[in-house]
Amino acid sequence: MIEVLNGGTRATIQDAGRPGYRHLGIPQSGAADKLSFALANWMAGNRWDAPAIECALGGLHLRFKDSTTIALAGAEMWAQINGQNVKNFTAMRVEKGDILTLSFARDGCRSYIAIAGGLKVAEFMGSASTYLPAEFGGFEGRALRTGDTLTISNRPREAPRKIPQGYTPRLSRHIVLRARSAAEWEDLDKPSQRHLFVSPFHASAATDRMGSRLRGDRIQTSKNLSMTSSPLLPGTLQVPPDGQPILMLVDGHCTGGYPRALQIIRADLWLLGQIAPGSQVSFRRCFTDQPPQILQARNSFYGGLIDGFAF
Amino acid sequence: MSSKTPTIRRYGDSAILIDYDVPGYSDRVHTRLNHLARTLRAQTMWQEVVPSYKSILCVFDLAAISLTQAQEKIEETLKNLSRSPKTKGKVIEIPVVYGGQYGPDMAAIKKSSGLNQSQVIDLHSGQDYRVCMMGFIPGFCFLSEVPESLQHPRHDTPRANVPAGSVGIAGWQTGIYGLDSPGGWQIIGRTPLKLFDTTRENLFLMEAGDTLRFIPSSKALFS
Repeated sequence: MIEVLNGGTRATIQDAGRPGYRHLGIPQSGAADKLSFALANWMAGNRWDAPAIECALGGLHLRFKDSTTIALAGAEMWAQINGQNVKNFTAMRVEKGDILTLSFARDGCRSYIAIAGGLKVAEFMGSASTYLPAEFGGFEGRALRTGDTLTISNRPREAPRKIPQGYTPRLSRHIVLRARSAAEWEDLDKPSQRHLFVSPFHASAATDRMGSRLRGDRIQTSKNLSMTSSPLLPGTLQVPPDGQPILMLVDGHCTGGYPRALQIIRADLWLLGQIAPGSQVSFRRCFTDQPPQILQARNSFYGGLIDGFAF
Repeated sequence: MSSKTPTIRRYGDSAILIDYDVPGYSDRVHTRLNHLARTLRAQTMWQEVVPSYKSILCVFDLAAISLTQAQEKIEETLKNLSRSPKTKGKVIEIPVVYGGQYGPDMAAIKKSSGLNQSQVIDLHSGQDYRVCMMGFIPGFCFLSEVPESLQHPRHDTPRANVPAGSVGIAGWQTGIYGLDSPGGWQIIGRTPLKLFDTTRENLFLMEAGDTLRFIPSSKALFS
């Protein structure tokens, strides 16, 4: 058992999500940074998609009521066990009564805590992932708070593992995302098309698992488009009439009524989970033949390490 | 005819958009599109098939197939698509309390249409609607066209919270909020029915293709 002493800014239980239900208005959810989540589970000896804790921005304090192995990955939050610094992107032993504290995210937004065996959570529509807007999945469909008790599951697992050199993702407060055009790219005016790829944006305070409202150069369409509600994906950049784009994330709306300018390539979607309020966000153009090569290289690199994992 | 030959476009690196370029609402396009979406969903290669009023977005695994292969599969599916079945789906009656505290934008609709409240209610509840699509949040249903005099643009600034069950108008669209949510639609009434309920065996009250009928009801419905 694990006792939540402090829920922090926003900590939820996530797994690989529930894809395939967007036509019902249900987004896939799941770990916002799939790569760090998978690495945390791998280090803890779990299957890559076992339910784990996702802590946004920081402030989470946990007390372990049983001795076990845990692993930390994702944003650097200056974690400590009983007041002693512990290293991010490592697995470690915790004893009964130990207290893990996470400070504030320094170089990203989300940290993952995987527990050997995974967390025991009832599945909803095939997934343990929390979806806060509809209050389902995870721990009672909500963020963790003081007094909650989490149960450790007894899934089959391997011994704890150490990440080999070169596999630790580099995170920073400047997120660079490679993108292809989406449905209404041609409707943007020429200066806006240029600005999108040369000017950095800033993620505003309106940044969560649903999306990130960006601030920067005004992005606009050349004429007023009257759109009916149309499909969106995580990684779609929407442009509302006020010219400040919205980048959709894992819990984002399945449809929307604003022009869709860009779509982030699949190999970079995991980075969306590390956009914190205040992060700088830049877009880079990706040409037609690049995404399959990038994805193939990334999948064989991390898939070679983590059994069954793909971006 | 445009309802038969949609355009097929690439959307990012792992999705294809099938787009029917028609102005306003078309029952024929909706029927065709819904039939196509069901056909595509039965194919195992798509990770998501998301239909909307005029388009379908199909997501595939770029590690397994290429954009060109995905595009060819869609062209082939379109070419071999059978005739759309003539079905009205389930007919669902939705009791609605119009106006007052449950329909804060009734005044705006009355003003723009020049009608009184009972005329607005008669017009809005006087026809059947098709459920065109579900989303943007669980349970929200996007319905077919409202009579022209009731059409009204969204609020410039969305409300921070629209209660679940609220019946709204946005341009020619009408729909019902499945959850408490921020939203910009003009709210004219509310139903106590839960469109999405995690405690129910049938999570959703309806699906795309169903027929929906509003039944004007008294405030007692909520007491």
